[in-house]
Amino acid sequence: MQNARDTFYLTLRDRLAALNPARTMVVRGATRPGLLVEENELASAYEPADAFRLRWTGVRVDAVGALPLVVMVCEIRYGTDGNAGNGGMDRGRLLAGMDAELAGAVNAAPQRVGKRNYAVSPSVELGTNVFWGDVAFGAVTVNGERLERVATVEVFCYQEAGEL
Amino acid sequence: MLRMPAPASAGDVGEQLGLAVPEFQDVELAPVVLLRGKGTQRELLVSAAAVNALVGSMGYSAGSVLFADAFGVLLDGVLMAVESVAESELSGSPYVYRLTLRGPVSLVV
Repeated sequence: MQNARDTFYLTLRDRLAALNPARTMVVRGATRPGLLVEENELASAYEPADAFRLRWTGVRVDAVGALPLVVMVCEIRYGTDGNAGNGGMDRGRLLAGMDAELAGAVNAAPQRVGKRNYAVSPSVELGTNVFWGDVAFGAVTVNGERLERVATVEVFCYQEAGEL
Repeated sequence: MLRMPAPASAGDVGEQLGLAVPEFQDVELAPVVLLRGKGTQRELLVSAAAVNALVGSMGYSAGSVLFADAFGVLLDGVLMAVESVAESELSGSPYVYRLTLRGPVSLVV
């Protein structure tokens, strides 16, 4: 499962960066593409605006078949305050832009990628694919001046023998 | 002591995947006043002069940014998470920072 999570994150990160290279964030002094996995960061990390935060929530395993099929629910949280120079009045437009980037990255074909093991260096390709469905957008929530949304993607993979 | 993570390595996929953990450095935070809060919560009043010295030496833009980046505060060897930060100002300049610290889960009764 962890290999599938890592593979999906890096694929989504690279697709988002290709769609909008200007969407970056600073994490502990380093500039990175604007997508992070919450569970991979320090618990004290703040919630950055204008960036995507990925959170793994549900997981279920279908053991019928030659290989167990794992279905994982991935929440992608994001929000924006708008530009301070515009008084935040463009926050709706900026959120719409983030919606479009996320839809473009997740829903673009192919919605699959070869699963890799990144725990070894260099990473090695495994024998099966990671594949996913279309993104489902939740309702916008207003938190003070910030507009926030949670989108959900179901990610599928086969659990290979000996894999964590 | 304020526990700060070392800067991340740009382009290091291992850190983004949680495979590599950052190094930490503990820096002295004094003078302070420690107040007891609810349960394991503590309140720490920190002199702005001490914070300003750290902000300058560590290259941060403001005290609030410094505490947002901090991993926690060490009190008698126990790491407390920084839950919130407020500052009191006089003539537009902060003179004290008020940190609300949350104790480790194991201490919650």
